[in-house]
Amino acid sequence: MIDAGKLRDRLREIVSPNRGAQPRAAASVEAAPPSSLEAALGGAWRGSTFIIERESSADVRYGEQTVGDIAEGLRCAVQEAVLLTGRADAAPQFLFFDLETTGLNGGAGTYAFLVGSAWFDNQGAFRTRQYLLCRGGDEVALLAAVESGLAESGTLVTFNGKSFDAPLLETRCLFHRRDWFGSRLPHLDVLHPARQLWGDPSTGCSLTQLERQLLGVRRAGDLPGFEAPARYFQFIRSGDASLLAAVVEHNRADMLALAAVTARLFALVRRGPCAALTPREALGLGRLYARTGRHDEALAAFERAVALMDGGAPAFLAAEALRALALAYRRLRRYDAAAACWQRLLNRGCDGAARREACEALAIHHEHRVRDLAAARTFALRSLESAPRERWEDAVRHRLARIERKQGAVSAPPLFPSSPSWPSPPSSGLQRSGRRISS
Amino acid sequence: MLPAPGSRQLSTKDGALDAALERLVPGRRVERTDTPDLRVTAVRRLPAAAASYAPFPERLDERLCRVLTSRRIPQLYTHQREAIEHALARRHVVVITPTASGKTLCYNAPILDTVLKDPSSRALYLFPTKALAQDQLAELQSLCEIVAETSHEQIGVFTYDGDTPQDARRTIRARAHLVLSNPDMLHAGILPHHPRWAKLLENLRYVVIDELHAYRGVFGSHVCNVLRRLRRICRHYGSDPTFICSSATIANARELAERLTERPFELVETSGAPRGEKFFVFVNPPVVNQQLGIRRSYLAETRRVASEFIARNLQAIVFTQSRLTTEILTTYLKDDFEGGPGTPETIRGYRGGYLPNRRRDVERGLREGTVRAVVSTNALELGIDIGALDVCVMAGYPGTIAATWQRAGRAGRRSARSAAVMVASSAPLDQFVVRNPSYFFDASPERALIDPDNLHILVDHVKCAAFELPFGAAETFGRPDVQEILRILEEQGTVHATGDTYTWTSESYPADAISLRSISSDNFVVVDSTGEPRVIGETDFTSGPATLHPKAIYIVEGRLYQVERLDFEGRKAFVREIDCDYYTTAITYSRVTVLDTFAREGGAPRAHGEVHVVSRVVGFKKIKFYTNENVGSGELDLPEQQMHTTAYWLELTESTMQGLPYASDDRRDGVVGLAFALCQVAQLLLMCDRHDIGLSIDSDEGAHRMHTIFIYDNYPGGIGFSEPLFRMHGELLERTHQLIADCECESGCPGCVGPVGYTGPLAKTVALRILGVLLEQLVGDGLQAVPGLQST
Repeated sequence: MIDAGKLRDRLREIVSPNRGAQPRAAASVEAAPPSSLEAALGGAWRGSTFIIERESSADVRYGEQTVGDIAEGLRCAVQEAVLLTGRADAAPQFLFFDLETTGLNGGAGTYAFLVGSAWFDNQGAFRTRQYLLCRGGDEVALLAAVESGLAESGTLVTFNGKSFDAPLLETRCLFHRRDWFGSRLPHLDVLHPARQLWGDPSTGCSLTQLERQLLGVRRAGDLPGFEAPARYFQFIRSGDASLLAAVVEHNRADMLALAAVTARLFALVRRGPCAALTPREALGLGRLYARTGRHDEALAAFERAVALMDGGAPAFLAAEALRALALAYRRLRRYDAAAACWQRLLNRGCDGAARREACEALAIHHEHRVRDLAAARTFALRSLESAPRERWEDAVRHRLARIERKQGAVSAPPLFPSSPSWPSPPSSGLQRSGRRISS
Repeated sequence: MLPAPGSRQLSTKDGALDAALERLVPGRRVERTDTPDLRVTAVRRLPAAAASYAPFPERLDERLCRVLTSRRIPQLYTHQREAIEHALARRHVVVITPTASGKTLCYNAPILDTVLKDPSSRALYLFPTKALAQDQLAELQSLCEIVAETSHEQIGVFTYDGDTPQDARRTIRARAHLVLSNPDMLHAGILPHHPRWAKLLENLRYVVIDELHAYRGVFGSHVCNVLRRLRRICRHYGSDPTFICSSATIANARELAERLTERPFELVETSGAPRGEKFFVFVNPPVVNQQLGIRRSYLAETRRVASEFIARNLQAIVFTQSRLTTEILTTYLKDDFEGGPGTPETIRGYRGGYLPNRRRDVERGLREGTVRAVVSTNALELGIDIGALDVCVMAGYPGTIAATWQRAGRAGRRSARSAAVMVASSAPLDQFVVRNPSYFFDASPERALIDPDNLHILVDHVKCAAFELPFGAAETFGRPDVQEILRILEEQGTVHATGDTYTWTSESYPADAISLRSISSDNFVVVDSTGEPRVIGETDFTSGPATLHPKAIYIVEGRLYQVERLDFEGRKAFVREIDCDYYTTAITYSRVTVLDTFAREGGAPRAHGEVHVVSRVVGFKKIKFYTNENVGSGELDLPEQQMHTTAYWLELTESTMQGLPYASDDRRDGVVGLAFALCQVAQLLLMCDRHDIGLSIDSDEGAHRMHTIFIYDNYPGGIGFSEPLFRMHGELLERTHQLIADCECESGCPGCVGPVGYTGPLAKTVALRILGVLLEQLVGDGLQAVPGLQST
């Protein structure tokens, strides 16, 4: 019914209704001749994978330090790696890993066209090996090359790799019915600790931001990451490898920044709370310790956060630090210190949820430990003021009723003066109320 | 599932039902001859049927037979046995199933059998809605629990839809033997991520397509392409699943299954399930003005009929034709049966656009019996579990024979008496059916049409398919040349050819931009700004301007809101609750231009081809509740909507019109009336929804003095109605003639050429004369025509 020419015109109309029936000038679509790739990017073919290897020697400057300084900071960081990955087998050698992909949405049609890996050699030089996908059909070979490149490394280090890079490569492996090799290695995703330590809720926590803010490095002429896919598609169509030079450079710069941020992170963890310079750093550090069960160090870090806060800190941060410290004291059964923190939190003023939590904790403290029922009642009543949720309100009313019942019992002459009228086994009572707070 | 005859409750119910029917049709209720001119035009008794049983197939796993026996299923109905045998032999099968005939066992039995024998086997169930999948989950899970207890085989059953939490998805991919999902999720969530679903896909033995008949028109055409993608991915993983489909009664269930899946099918159509006695009654509201041909409002009549049943404590479902009439009838019935504010809500509304928790609440109320009556759009037509009700009342003919049976099936238990009442509106289609009951009761139901090769739809899915897997140079996908489509996509840079494959080279995720359900995935949300702003409903993009224009009255469960502002760009309508005694209907104008004629024939030429349609909502009318008086109107200035689609058209040339002894105004009235009736009959012949086709008249008063009546597909690119309509031209004219000639009115009424006022006084006469000329010319054509030469 429709001849081929007409079909083509209708299809053009459907595919891009606003562009009219004019076909876009078709560029040369053949794969690039290898020589142009080598000339533009300085790599070499190994089988059907194009690999670019570079090296920055130890004395190359990076902000206020040198590449060698970064290597030094990473050299023996076994303890830190174990702490941060939560895996006992995490150890050097650290392999920094970053992908450039054809999109951010995932799915079978999104793939990594540049797989970057980097490490420091024994001389402290920063070495990168980047695998470039030149034709769709070569992906299996590329994945195999990447896998064998991982053989000597001890720990994978990425920025947001747990959410993005690793699942994406895993999908590519599954696509080709291969085992996902990344799961064998310990994986440190620096984004999460970095966000705790240095992230600013208002501006986010990108690698370039950290680089600028933490290490004082500004990149010159860097290609914005979001332009990379378009460059790659252009290269695929035109065969012009020079388009990729900036992408390859960007990927390299990202890996070096990642290495520097990682070194900085390790240094902070190694030197402990006293090395933290801001309340946020100290607070974040404390949380890292707390997550791995190192509660004494966590407490020290929170104490440091509160101490640093006296120099002035945003209100929400102060409240978070006091709350964290209070919970840490309570975990170590230093109830009076915990109560003092809650009290300080209330005195400073804080938002409704924190106020509710503080008042409830103080009500518990006064009811069960100080046995000051009047104060307990006051705190329970105060906790009701901050517009609580219904279910929670029931719990408080229940507490109030009990306090008032006890108050009645206490003001009447005790029947058995020697034994307390309200048995209060500290551990079980504590756990129960603790759970209620967190729910 | 044992019958409980003689139970007190049932016998009282039967008595109440008899009493209500007696009020409706005094005297004998037994089947009688049709009486087209009376208020009740037909009463048919559908006798109770006894069950017909068959033993379990011998190859059915012993463990499964024990489980079924323990669930009080010691044997099968004959249709279940037949379907299970086909499926076990890996033959694709489609089962036509009346409501409550045990269709789920037809697919659950072979699937559980296969999983028991080979635990690596997987199956995918597709339901047209999320709610249906949730509904089936409970039943399947309890079945699998018993299997686990008796045979120690753990069979994982999970739903996978838009509501599934992210962190549960990995578990489901790893552990589910049976995944219950919907075509939309398969399209946007599973296929684009197929590497993660490799385990399911490479072991996929069965695909269940429930409620097959729902996949027609635009939706069906999309789903066919989703299934093409699924089969393509399965080939990649080396699997070749067997399809098991269930369908309500339509004429071409096997053909539809074969078109959708592009596989040969076995058909199982004779039910062995028992059913109770059912009465089917057709009601035509009496004429209140003979001259104008005006009948009593069918909504008022529906209210009266439904009240007879509800007042006798029979649980009822009332089906309406639109969201608006749902709201109006809910309001009426709440007035009749509910106490003031604060008393329990026993009458509820139900329609698309309500938020999910409100819907779940109504469904539960129906099952538990706290809701005594529900007024619903077709949203409750599919198999959501609301229990079996006593009575179904339909306000207006549902549009197709299949949908009417489906809705009627919502009332009726296996062993008790039930009733279905259809109250005709004054629309021509309704009048045709209510006055020709045998057309409904004795004719075969309609055919479901799809056009999966609609280029708009096909191109969308070729993109998705290319994203999922590179296309080979020898690969096919649908009827049109997919390599040509890929070449165009390459021109635009969406794919890239290397060697002999096309690879996806775009940052986008194409499935996200493609909705299976409508023209675009866009919708308008309705924001109530009476108090704290909150979203109270939504409506799809195309019907947005007509229902949410400024000053429109928007109704939710009887509450009235007025639209204060329509933010067209932001796709939001801001409404405020008001108290008023009217509702609004929009006035839409459309203009059609022919772009390309595919075929044209005849002395009175008819043709089909491609057209451009521009339509705009230009104003609205205010209609008073209860009396339906027109109490005002307003003008609107809203953006135009444009589309490229296909149409059938009829040209009324000067030679056709010149012999008619009427003034030109009267001729034009005749054309308008004829077009009105043609469009209604076209709906009847095409088995389509009233929104699926549009009508437009182009009158050239200049040199050629020609009128053209366009009936176009209301979907960009067309959905395959125009060519069949072109082929049915003769039948279309004859049925239209019959409709107008048989109508009792004097000079036009809503049941034939449109109400008086819509056209002029001679519209009916002139329309009949025009049809007479056209039919004569058709006979002439028939003598000249050489069969086969003119078809395309």
